[in-house]
Amino acid sequence: MLDYLIKRTVQVLVVLFLALTTVFFIIRLSGDPTALFLPPDAPREQLEEFRKALGFDRPLYVQYTEFITNAVQGDFGNSLRTREDALQTVLNRIPATFQLAFTALGLSLLIAIPIGINSAYKRNTLFDQTGVAFTVLGQAIPSFWLGLILIYVFAVQFKWLPTGGGGSMIHLILPALTLAAYSVARFARFTRSTMLDVLRKDYIRTAKASGIPMYKILSVYALKNTLIPIITLVALDLGVLLGGAVIVEVVFAWPGLGRLLMQSLLNRDFPVVMAGVFLIAFIYSVINFVVDVLYAYVNPQIRYK
Amino acid sequence: MLRKNQALLYLFLFVVLLLTACTPETAGTTPSNPPPTTQQAGSSEAPSAPPKQDLVIGFEADAATMLANTDVNYVTDIQIRNIYDPLIDRDKDGALIPVLATEWKNIDPLTWEFKLREGVKFTNGEPFNAEAVKFNIDYILDEKNNSFYRSRWKDIKEVKVIDDHTVQIITVQPFPTLLLRIADDLLIMAPKHTQEVGLEKAATDPVGTGAYKFEKWTRDESLQLVANEEYWQGAPSIKKLTFKIIPEFSARLSAFLSGEIHLFKNVPVDSVDRVKNSENGKIEMVGSSRINYVALNTFYDGPLKDQRVRQAINYAIDVDELLKSVLNSYGTKMTGPLSKVNVDYTETKDYGYDPDKAIALLKEANIDPKTLKLQLDTPNGRYPMDTHVAQAIASQLQKIGITVNVQVNEWGNHLAKIRQHEMKDMFILGWGPAFDAQGTIENLFTEKAPYSGFYDKEVESMIQKALPVFDPVERKKGFDELQHKLVEEAAWVPLWQQGDLYAVDKNLQFTPRSDEKFAVFEMKWAK
Repeated sequence: MLDYLIKRTVQVLVVLFLALTTVFFIIRLSGDPTALFLPPDAPREQLEEFRKALGFDRPLYVQYTEFITNAVQGDFGNSLRTREDALQTVLNRIPATFQLAFTALGLSLLIAIPIGINSAYKRNTLFDQTGVAFTVLGQAIPSFWLGLILIYVFAVQFKWLPTGGGGSMIHLILPALTLAAYSVARFARFTRSTMLDVLRKDYIRTAKASGIPMYKILSVYALKNTLIPIITLVALDLGVLLGGAVIVEVVFAWPGLGRLLMQSLLNRDFPVVMAGVFLIAFIYSVINFVVDVLYAYVNPQIRYK
Repeated sequence: MLRKNQALLYLFLFVVLLLTACTPETAGTTPSNPPPTTQQAGSSEAPSAPPKQDLVIGFEADAATMLANTDVNYVTDIQIRNIYDPLIDRDKDGALIPVLATEWKNIDPLTWEFKLREGVKFTNGEPFNAEAVKFNIDYILDEKNNSFYRSRWKDIKEVKVIDDHTVQIITVQPFPTLLLRIADDLLIMAPKHTQEVGLEKAATDPVGTGAYKFEKWTRDESLQLVANEEYWQGAPSIKKLTFKIIPEFSARLSAFLSGEIHLFKNVPVDSVDRVKNSENGKIEMVGSSRINYVALNTFYDGPLKDQRVRQAINYAIDVDELLKSVLNSYGTKMTGPLSKVNVDYTETKDYGYDPDKAIALLKEANIDPKTLKLQLDTPNGRYPMDTHVAQAIASQLQKIGITVNVQVNEWGNHLAKIRQHEMKDMFILGWGPAFDAQGTIENLFTEKAPYSGFYDKEVESMIQKALPVFDPVERKKGFDELQHKLVEEAAWVPLWQQGDLYAVDKNLQFTPRSDEKFAVFEMKWAK
């Protein structure tokens, strides 16, 4: 088990390193940030001076080495725009993004699992077909579009909810729903198919034959076995939710990490982009790491592969 | 049977999807008669509808810092100008008016003297005086502070405190546009406070003499200010001011329609009717001092180095038609390098639309329009309808046979391409606030300035001659000549003065300014 842990830790580190390296070079290709910060009438000398102060005048490999050396120590430099510590700026946004992603996750599970179970149980009925259709719809609708429609209906027309912004539970409802829509579809369909498999199993037939009420079979015996693969999917989807939050955060002016990253990219605020990418890669890797280790713990076969 | 059911169901859902896709949100129009039920539901309590002493302005991006004189950025400047006062401001037409400085004069070409307003206090009780002015200019000049304004102020030698309310600014060389620099850049921070708490803290806890006091700043969410009841110009009528940051335009429009925000700038021309037809909104427009143009790049080794080709392009582009069909007439046509709000404007020749002349000129230059291929770069969403304008220009040039390839760039890339001389034949750009000739002509048409794409030796020497001239009449003469010369050279294709469109709550008394500022002190709620 220890071997496995070490192996996986090294893998995580390699992933982080590669992510940082790739993003470092890609973002440098996007151009020089100095033009966006200094006033348009700034003379060339000042541009050069600024470039020098930021170290952009040096060869790329020197910049890269320095960046990695500092990054390893948790120092991503200061934001070019606000002049505050880049990593801290990014960390400040994590709670809002987590709040949104986890609410969306909870919401989608709450909606998806009952639909999935019922669809499986009432296979090929109108309920099932409606469910399938909605899940297809949920996956097909782009989240920015759904977000705008929800804003239009619930905020502009009915005025029940605010159009955007952060701060309270009320503000959380629409963005969480929008973000959840995609996962609901995935979870519901997955629950349905897994449940169908489970329902064909012998022990369910035995349970039925023993006269156990159907609701109990579904909610106790079948559900437990259905949940195992769903948990995997949830872990994987958490990354998707964190990433998907970018668009939703922009549409709903939700003050999270995604919006910060988007803005920093447009502003060529390199330090913040790098810190943000690092953090997302880190979270992603850690989630996968934990899931894999749990698997290995549960199923020793994996360890020896 | 089941198959059939399923097919029907999908058909039904498809139709539903199509119908939802046609909601007003996507169609860009508002229903003329909203269903009565929604009106009822929307009549009273919006969740965060503030009472009418408050004003919420929807804004596209957050300020970078609360420090004055640091970040050269419209987004930062507009917001903090409600906290800090300038020495000199502009009235809504762009003319200079005294604020914290009451009068000024030139003692000699290198010395300016300013009398300062007496009895003004910062909101923390500190007195406003000559020391405060010196502190703020020194702040810009001190390299340690990394102010993005520094290059504009490099000709300042020193600031001398003469007495409590008199200050002298000594310049290295004659600096005829110093007053404009002061009006456009300089805001006065409280020196004692800034030094005591340190810059890092002052960047999130500003103190000025302005109409509003800082209350709370939540990054990327909102900036909250409260009225400075002891403001030297009298207490503002709006007591609580919030800048709410909403990056996405559609979301900003929705927030306006739902009453969460009362004012926002840059309504796209195709959404004007939605605001006009809404229950709570009206549209205000002002001719901005920001100008839009098509640069004809002479730095690029292409056909546009030839004056006749540049003139031909000027003849072949129908600016009136572009204004009418693409901008719904929200904009004011320009014919030369400066717009009419520019104090140094002089009337120049209008090329007008004359495709035959264009063809003749191209022939003269030995160019067959049918073989001419040009590239036109445009940013996406930076200026009103920019990509649409580019497409329309391409089709106008197509009419005389020129093939135009429109290249759409993300803004940061567009700007970088210009600065690094990577643009090809033509590009669309805006410039502003453009109130004086020097600010536009020096920064656009000299060799070191990449933004007009135009450089000519003779023009350059005319500019260098005009810049240090102190006598206003002589100075104006120099810049008048330059304007005619630039039109003659067909240095660019002037398009228009941007029409700034604001969505405004019906009950808000608000007059938009050509310098794009939100001076909330001037605003009021009608009863």
